[in-house]
Amino acid sequence: MSASEDIQLQNSLDSITARLQGGEAVEPLLTEAEESQGDLGEFVDIIQSLHTSLAPISPSQDYADRLRADLLNGRPGVVKRVRQIPPRVHVAAILAVCAGCVLFVLRRIFGSATAQDIQEEAVATPL
Amino acid sequence: MKNPFSRRIDLKELDDSELVALAKEDKAAFGELYERYLQKIYSYVYYRTGNVHDAEDLTAKVFIRALSHISNYVEKGVPFQAWLYRIAHNLVANWHRDQGRRKIIALDDYVVHSLKSEAPDRLSEEREERNQLLEAFHRLPEERQQLILLKFVERMSNAEIGAIMGRTEGAIKSLYHRTLLALREEMESIHTGDRSKRLRGHEG
Repeated sequence: MSASEDIQLQNSLDSITARLQGGEAVEPLLTEAEESQGDLGEFVDIIQSLHTSLAPISPSQDYADRLRADLLNGRPGVVKRVRQIPPRVHVAAILAVCAGCVLFVLRRIFGSATAQDIQEEAVATPL
Repeated sequence: MKNPFSRRIDLKELDDSELVALAKEDKAAFGELYERYLQKIYSYVYYRTGNVHDAEDLTAKVFIRALSHISNYVEKGVPFQAWLYRIAHNLVANWHRDQGRRKIIALDDYVVHSLKSEAPDRLSEEREERNQLLEAFHRLPEERQQLILLKFVERMSNAEIGAIMGRTEGAIKSLYHRTLLALREEMESIHTGDRSKRLRGHEG
């Protein structure tokens, strides 16, 4: 397919999509598409399926009201919920804090012992 | 700090740029932007994630992020709508990365309710066709899913889609063509897979 044919096909697909979305019936469009460009007809069914299947979806009114209140009044509800971190991250954070504490205590114990040893060694060593 | 003049203004009459300017200081203006875009963002996120729970969480995150960054937002060729969709797109992309998989959307009540046919056989056939279409849709690369949603769910023009995806109108038309080709191939592959499953079932 040449570049100009390619662009023509792209424009036709765009136009068919807009006409289907504008409420035109699919059958005349299909006939028209098959008469003008053989390839085009194959796409009309897919475009029609996408058009009928992908409808906008609304959230529940309760959710919409709660989120609005949370955003505008700064209430914690949904905001707090979405900021909750996953349990595995909780566990990892707790383990990291525990490991940090253990290391800190060990360092205090062994660190001071080593200093004491050095002092004792210094005293015992004759000048 | 609240803008004393905003109370006298009917926020519904303002366009997005004016609302954004007010929303930097007045949460009521942000509330109007929220009303305008909640359903659009929710629909977008819902089709990308495939379930209500994640759609609600991610939609909330989009608006929380928008609210916290709106004071820094400057409209430099990217309209507010495009900015909001980019936030949504990034959060959904992160969500997919964290999930490590792509969920296949279930054909739920929303879509079933949209069917006009009352004949049970026809309903079942249409439901199967829609399941196949949605499965094929979720097999597409991220940017192609985004294009389909913006075109069919949000009914945006190529120029609006281009602003969100950072492409020209011509590039969007070309991507749309390639997306339809890919979708057709995916549907054929699903259809062939289903048929061979059924054949194997008969043989077994």
